[in-house]
Amino acid sequence: MVRILQPEERREAVNRMHELSNQDILLCLQCGKCTAGCPFSNDMDLAPHQIVRMAQLGLIDELKASEAIWYCATCFTCVSRCPVAIDIAAVAEVIRLYLQMDDEARFDPESIPKSLTENAPQQALVSLYRKFGN
Amino acid sequence: MKVGYYPGCTLKGSAKALDETTHLAVELLGSSLTEIEDWTCCGATTPLTETRIANLIAQTRLLAKTRDAGYDALVTTCPFCFSTLKRANLTLANDELKRRRMNTYLAEDRRLRDYETPPPAWVDYSGETRVLHMLEWIRDDFGFQVISTAARVSLKGLKVAPFYGCQLLRPADELAMCDPENPVLFEEFLGALGTDVIDFPNRIDCCGSYLSVARPEAALRASCKILDSARMHGADTVVVTCPLCFYNLDYFQDEMLRGNPEFKQVPILYFTQLLALALGAPLDKLGLDSHKVDPGPLLERFTVNVPGEVPA
Ligand code: SF4
Ligand code: SF4
Repeated sequence: MVRILQPEERREAVNRMHELSNQDILLCLQCGKCTAGCPFSNDMDLAPHQIVRMAQLGLIDELKASEAIWYCATCFTCVSRCPVAIDIAAVAEVIRLYLQMDDEARFDPESIPKSLTENAPQQALVSLYRKFGN
Repeated sequence: MKVGYYPGCTLKGSAKALDETTHLAVELLGSSLTEIEDWTCCGATTPLTETRIANLIAQTRLLAKTRDAGYDALVTTCPFCFSTLKRANLTLANDELKRRRMNTYLAEDRRLRDYETPPPAWVDYSGETRVLHMLEWIRDDFGFQVISTAARVSLKGLKVAPFYGCQLLRPADELAMCDPENPVLFEEFLGALGTDVIDFPNRIDCCGSYLSVARPEAALRASCKILDSARMHGADTVVVTCPLCFYNLDYFQDEMLRGNPEFKQVPILYFTQLLALALGAPLDKLGLDSHKVDPGPLLERFTVNVPGEVPA
């Protein structure tokens, strides 16, 4: 069941997303090109076009609880194919930023096992920590 | 045009082979690269949220330092560095508010850091340093025709699949290097080396990037798909520019084999290794010992030199 927000609440969530991500999510046509091209849409619990739709509806809590925002690899395939150039990587990054603002939900680098970090290239660690931990 | 070389952290860490073969190849072309002094990490990714202004500081400082050292351009081999620095440069050139914030902060920071000698005044940075990728620089400064003529070893018959990865291609309006859906730069480069370039549909896909650290199953699937496709289209090797593409495509092949006994391993090469090889570098100078899947057996038959002096 999708929650329906009061107009004021919804407007505020949409404006805040617009301001922080610099993406005009209300332009989204729900055409699905982003999802068709996203290499990780099968791993996500919400497909990229659904992320944008939820953001349009102001459903930030649902987005914060989704796994999808952790599967975006910022590959920019979606934005390069979107007819209205919406960068979903930026939308997902804003949701992760909201989680960082909630103290208890902060990303903990220690949560990643050493076996996965010890051989990884430096650029992978720096970008991961910046994208997950903002 | 005076060009400073920026290696970035990974080329001094896990991807030393990329740094070394970059230098080697440029030397074999009769030129050399000067490293920018006192460089730091570029930040590796572009901040996408408008609040994260702090994530632009490293890039601004680096680009200003490059300009102040008298260089017109910065060239880098790592696509992450390229993309991060080039995008930051555009922001600094076009976004007045961010430019003012960065410059104000860095001017203050410089003053606060230096207690004894008064530092030279900070000169506002607004995007003066050109940011180039190595492939671009080789094309524009030497020309692919020159590489073709300079090649001492014929790589004819070596079937190579170029893999672009994300950070050289997208967002194309900002990076302005290739058509994001149908790029040709890498093919032209590999063609100039005399290789047989394989056309395969997954050449512009994402290998999984840093997800290989946080969501390894997803990255493994993405990488495996790319390798299967390259193999299916007849590739002997997949050639990359990016140390993270290299890691995802090379390091996890044992695991791919464990997951699927039908999986056929395929050696991964950096574009600079192939360039150096074509220009006459011996195999033992290519850093091949850092590869999980050894490209040695594949490359051995391409080390027969055409007549001419063999460089040491
Ligand atoms: S491609 Fe763009 S317009 Fe189409 S669904 Fe995705 S975000 Fe919306
Ligand atoms: S940037 Fe993220 S959402 Fe967009 S295609 Fe890539 S992984 Fe999918």
